[in-house]
Amino acid sequence: MIRLKNLVAKYTTVRGQVAAVDGVHLEVPDGIILGVAGESGCGKTTLMKVIYGDIGFPLSLASGSVEYGFCTERGEPVTTTNIRDYWFKRISYIPQSSMSALNPVIRINRQFVDFRRNSKREADILDRVRQYVQELGLPAEAIDAYPHQLSGGMRQRIMVAMATFFHPDIILADEPTTALDVVVQKGILLLLMNLQEKMKNTIFLVSHDMGVHYQITHRMLIMYAAKAVEYGDTNAVFERPLHPYTRLLIESLPTIGDTQTRQGVAGRPPSLWSDLRGCRFADRCPFAREICRMEEPQLREYCAGHMAACHFVDRFM
Amino acid sequence: MNLIKYIAGRVGVYLMVLFTGITIIFFVPRFMPSDPVEGYIGRMVYQAGQTMSAEDVEQLRESLRELYGLKGSLLSQYISFIRRALISWDFGPSLAGYPKPVSEYIATALPWTLGLLTTTTVLAWTLGNLVGLLAGFFHGNRITTVLEVIGVILYPIPYYILALVLIILLAYVWPVFPLSTTIMPGALTIRKLGEIFRNSFLPGMALILAGFGWNVLGMKAMAYATKEEPFVTYARLKGTPSFTIMFHYVFRNAMLPQITALALHMGMIFNGAVLTEMLFSYPGVGSLIRYAIGNGDYNLIYGTLSLSIVAVATAALIVDLLYPLFDPRIRYR
Repeated sequence: MIRLKNLVAKYTTVRGQVAAVDGVHLEVPDGIILGVAGESGCGKTTLMKVIYGDIGFPLSLASGSVEYGFCTERGEPVTTTNIRDYWFKRISYIPQSSMSALNPVIRINRQFVDFRRNSKREADILDRVRQYVQELGLPAEAIDAYPHQLSGGMRQRIMVAMATFFHPDIILADEPTTALDVVVQKGILLLLMNLQEKMKNTIFLVSHDMGVHYQITHRMLIMYAAKAVEYGDTNAVFERPLHPYTRLLIESLPTIGDTQTRQGVAGRPPSLWSDLRGCRFADRCPFAREICRMEEPQLREYCAGHMAACHFVDRFM
Repeated sequence: MNLIKYIAGRVGVYLMVLFTGITIIFFVPRFMPSDPVEGYIGRMVYQAGQTMSAEDVEQLRESLRELYGLKGSLLSQYISFIRRALISWDFGPSLAGYPKPVSEYIATALPWTLGLLTTTTVLAWTLGNLVGLLAGFFHGNRITTVLEVIGVILYPIPYYILALVLIILLAYVWPVFPLSTTIMPGALTIRKLGEIFRNSFLPGMALILAGFGWNVLGMKAMAYATKEEPFVTYARLKGTPSFTIMFHYVFRNAMLPQITALALHMGMIFNGAVLTEMLFSYPGVGSLIRYAIGNGDYNLIYGTLSLSIVAVATAALIVDLLYPLFDPRIRYR
């Protein structure tokens, strides 16, 4: 179980501090794929940074911490303060742009091992890496190549291979397929699903694509303006969304054969700099009442494992 | 196969550049107001006074022209020059220092220039890039900022000012180093090596200081930009040690333009040599070029300038051929 405890993460800018993640409090069961969705600037990537423990200027963790559900060799629980020691051993990360995430002037095999400090058995590890990338559908020689010699899809497979080679407990994938075409995208996502099924690790998958979320994830987290607004099993979220924002997101998905024009969600998310009172979605919500503008709704559990932050959840129940 | 084709083509271009350059330097000195034959005759007439008849002078002029290889039309001179210069690298005797051959002059002067300028160029490059890398990678660190500021201050100072300040301070006010280079002839002993070092220190220092700032600024800007590249961020998130990130990720990428700059500087060392060797009366190729031009010594001019053309062209050729070692993305087709 991974516990996100009341996370507040702030960026320091010349105008002052702004909270890009504001009070996210969740428990994520082990061994699932969690989809994180929301529009640009809602705090998805910041949340990933906080979970990964990549906190450094200008980002700071104002309050809260993450408990990863595993312990150090000395038996202490691993939290935000010491997660760095476990990077790519127990928690790993798949970046968005494989195009630019590999050093262009060094062979991939060097980049595969240069983060292991005790790399005396380098040749050994590389042999196993060769075997491993073959399981992932790449030729073994791919790791002896320079990044520019591989196609975009192969490179992204390499990124997946790097992130999964040491069998980490947690994998963060921040839009791992955004830069790829749909066919390659499908291949990579299926690969991730298969690996997850085998290794039983927890994957945080950030994507804009609700279709991807529907097909891949077990649970969904919907974020809006730095807040978690809905959290539940993917099927439940898609069948019976409790938050109006989630509902509008899903209604905007096209289906084959349907000729009806799709509606986007009107309006824009609020500026995080403004004085935020009440529900942050109120200005765009077709159901908003007086109370929505006055009082902030809390993320509450409405049915087993399905949480939402809205004053009028009952309307959709 | 492609590689061989590429190299052949590249070498072809190299030879073309040499040919063009050497052709240009053959014709340019012919437009100079000083003529070695007339200069010599002038001296003779001055010494001999009225004893020389006009016929004698004319005869002398004829035999001098023949001796110096200045007989015949410009075109036939050019053809015989190209044949000698390109094929056997023979520039004939020095005209001002007749009959000592040009090649002998160059052979004496070349080690001085090569030794001084290669050492200082490489040192300035290494030091400058190291400081620039640290300044860019640890942006905001106090020590690296101080070093960077030194580079920024040194960079815009003209080289000759820097050299003169060094001469005034370290050779005149505090006479630690000799004012001009004086080295006894003789076999190469340890004592003589020390003497060479002491004599070369000031010009070397001036060259290093002048080259240092440029390298710091270039490398700092490159390293600072490279540090923000996604692959550096990703390496950091993998847990790659900082030292590895700095050298294998930042430096390996940021040094690519600096390699080109190093090679070009290496090729231009003879240009730098003229000023340096004048200021420090250093017995290298630079002084030789100045002496040759001052005396209208065609053969010596051809020899020294051809040498610097060959140096620049060869340096560019070597970089072109070696570049793929540093950047695997470069491919020959």
